[in-house]
Amino acid sequence: MWKVLGGVILGLLLAAGLAYSMMSRLMFTETQSPFGMEETVARIQHNIQKTGNGWELSGLRNPAKAVQKDGGNVLPVMMIEACSTKYSKPILKEDTVRFLSILMPCKVSVYKKDDGKIYIGTMNAGLMGKMFGPLVGDVMSQVAEDQKKFLLFDPSTPAPPMILPAAAGPATGGGGGGGGC
Amino acid sequence: MRNPFLGALLALTLALAPLAGAATDAEAASAARATAKSTADHAAFKVLQQPFKSGPEVTRACLTCHTEAAKQVHKSKHWTWEFLNPETQQRLGKKHVINNFCTAVPSNYEFCTACHVGYGWKDEKFDFTAQENVDCLVCHDTTGTYRKIPGLAGHPPYQDMEFPPKSGRIAKATDLGKVARAVGKSSRDTCGACHFLGGGGDAVKHGDLDTSLKKPGKYLDVHMAKDGLNFTCGTCHMTSGHDVPGSRYGVTVAKSDAARMHMRGRAEGNPATCESCHGDKPHKARQADRLNSHATKLACQTCHIPEFARAQPTKMKWDWSTAGKMDEKGKPFKLKDSSGHESYDSRKGDFSYESNVIPTYVWFNGEVQYTLRETRLDPSKVVEINRFEGSPDDGKSKVWPIKRFVGKQPYDIGNNQLVVFHTYGQDDSALWSNFNWDKAIEYGMREIGAEYSGKFAFVSTEMSWPITHMVAPKADALACRQCHTPPGRLDNVPGLYIPGRHGNALMDTLGWSLAGLTLLGVLGHGAGRIFASRKAKPHEGEGK
Repeated sequence: MWKVLGGVILGLLLAAGLAYSMMSRLMFTETQSPFGMEETVARIQHNIQKTGNGWELSGLRNPAKAVQKDGGNVLPVMMIEACSTKYSKPILKEDTVRFLSILMPCKVSVYKKDDGKIYIGTMNAGLMGKMFGPLVGDVMSQVAEDQKKFLLFDPSTPAPPMILPAAAGPATGGGGGGGGC
Repeated sequence: MRNPFLGALLALTLALAPLAGAATDAEAASAARATAKSTADHAAFKVLQQPFKSGPEVTRACLTCHTEAAKQVHKSKHWTWEFLNPETQQRLGKKHVINNFCTAVPSNYEFCTACHVGYGWKDEKFDFTAQENVDCLVCHDTTGTYRKIPGLAGHPPYQDMEFPPKSGRIAKATDLGKVARAVGKSSRDTCGACHFLGGGGDAVKHGDLDTSLKKPGKYLDVHMAKDGLNFTCGTCHMTSGHDVPGSRYGVTVAKSDAARMHMRGRAEGNPATCESCHGDKPHKARQADRLNSHATKLACQTCHIPEFARAQPTKMKWDWSTAGKMDEKGKPFKLKDSSGHESYDSRKGDFSYESNVIPTYVWFNGEVQYTLRETRLDPSKVVEINRFEGSPDDGKSKVWPIKRFVGKQPYDIGNNQLVVFHTYGQDDSALWSNFNWDKAIEYGMREIGAEYSGKFAFVSTEMSWPITHMVAPKADALACRQCHTPPGRLDNVPGLYIPGRHGNALMDTLGWSLAGLTLLGVLGHGAGRIFASRKAKPHEGEGK
């Protein structure tokens, strides 16, 4: 009896350890971009605008600029912010899950790494949604589908211009206001 | 106006406004002179109190006091645009080298000599011995109003003119008197007027020199930071008799190169090195010995300039082979990339820009071999416009960061040589006017008296630029893991053993097996001890 119980506990501990170690890779995705920094940002921005479903760009942040102002250097990072009231409204309306507003607006991060290549980081909206019940799960699964469209690139089309936040000028540390949420 | 007092005050204010402006200008000039701690106020010199009509007139006035200045300038590379490399015997300098940016000066003098420290170099007949042809103002202007415009053979505009042509923008006539009366030491602005704009625009050529260094933040360059040490170019390129040390044509590299690298205060050598101030054991704090041992193989720049072009993108590619396309109306056109930089220009071809560029790292011993116009090339390979020599074994090389600039440019397929072509001019042969490669190349080659087969094609080229400016704060130097874990920054540098990066699968297996067996042994031994001690423990009551 003790042997069986011990085996179960050990199995559970191993599973928990495995899940813990894989959590970051499950919750967030990272893909390499075939384009340069600005072109990647611009293509994603234009994809967001083309996706429909109420998606609007709501900001473009450059956290690296804030570090520069403080006298330091980090490799470029740009965060594209987008929001769709179609998806945000049902969550913001429901008291029990309104705390998930902390995940808004939807962000796509574009950054350079030490190998000189450009990467795109996104949240696994589908998986994240499943953790918060059917309402959020349903909304987030739709967000996840749209998110895939954000990252569909057509290299045969010319590089579009980057869309800079009207209020803030060239992507600053503060980002800029915009539509959406 | 109901109140006569207020009316009078207003009239007086309006009348004095221009004077107030003039006073402000004078105060600013005076303040600039005070900051420079100069012992001379050039505004007080009678010879400078005249309405100058041309640059040479100003120079003649300067020479009345600075009698040796022009002769000194005549000996400098800034004047001759020529350098005979004593080691390779190659004749270099702008006059001779064909690069893969705007390519070559000959046949384009009027345009290119906007960056010459002289006046009037419009063709091969330029008088290099005339002292009044030296341009004093381009290096000594403190007003920020002196600007030499391409196409004027090194002269500034003497009357208002539209520049760039057909742009609708007006370049104002230069007030030569005002500039001459406010001369001072050279500055980041004056050096940068050419060196930040090399290759035809801001941030095009070097990667570590662009207009962001006019007023850089500490993050960009700890030495030049406007709110920090505020070095000018001359602080390191310590000039004597108009001879500016620290050219890339004579780069000082390794410790063994003692004859050319010296500590400050000595007469010989090159003060424009990190070591001339920091010594060859620059690290003093934690892990100093370990870090200093790196300095025997790594240039300081390798760790302390982790990326270049950190404030704005630099040009990384120039493909001349696509030049000449026209839009639907048959007119030349330009395209921009996502960040707003030019990605195509009918006159020049395709470009690409990149910011925060991770350098390429190479062994470098200070010797550079150029592919000159006369050099026979192999068009089936990428032609190295310049090759940085060095190896891990020669005892005088260090690993250096470089910008590797790639492109395509025309070459003579009959002679397998690079060609000079005529880009700028009002004539029928200039590429930028008529988009005719045949005419442009024939003109350029005729201009230098070189043989041309009459047939050309495009060849892939690359050019290397040493990275030495934009030194980051020490907290942002490369961290150990950036080289000592795979993939590391120095992965493509041959002949380096880097602990943590290099591994041998067999050795790793053996090592881990030994470690595993040791652990098993320890655990087994421990278990045996526990088991044995339990077995040996006398039962209660036993032995009583």
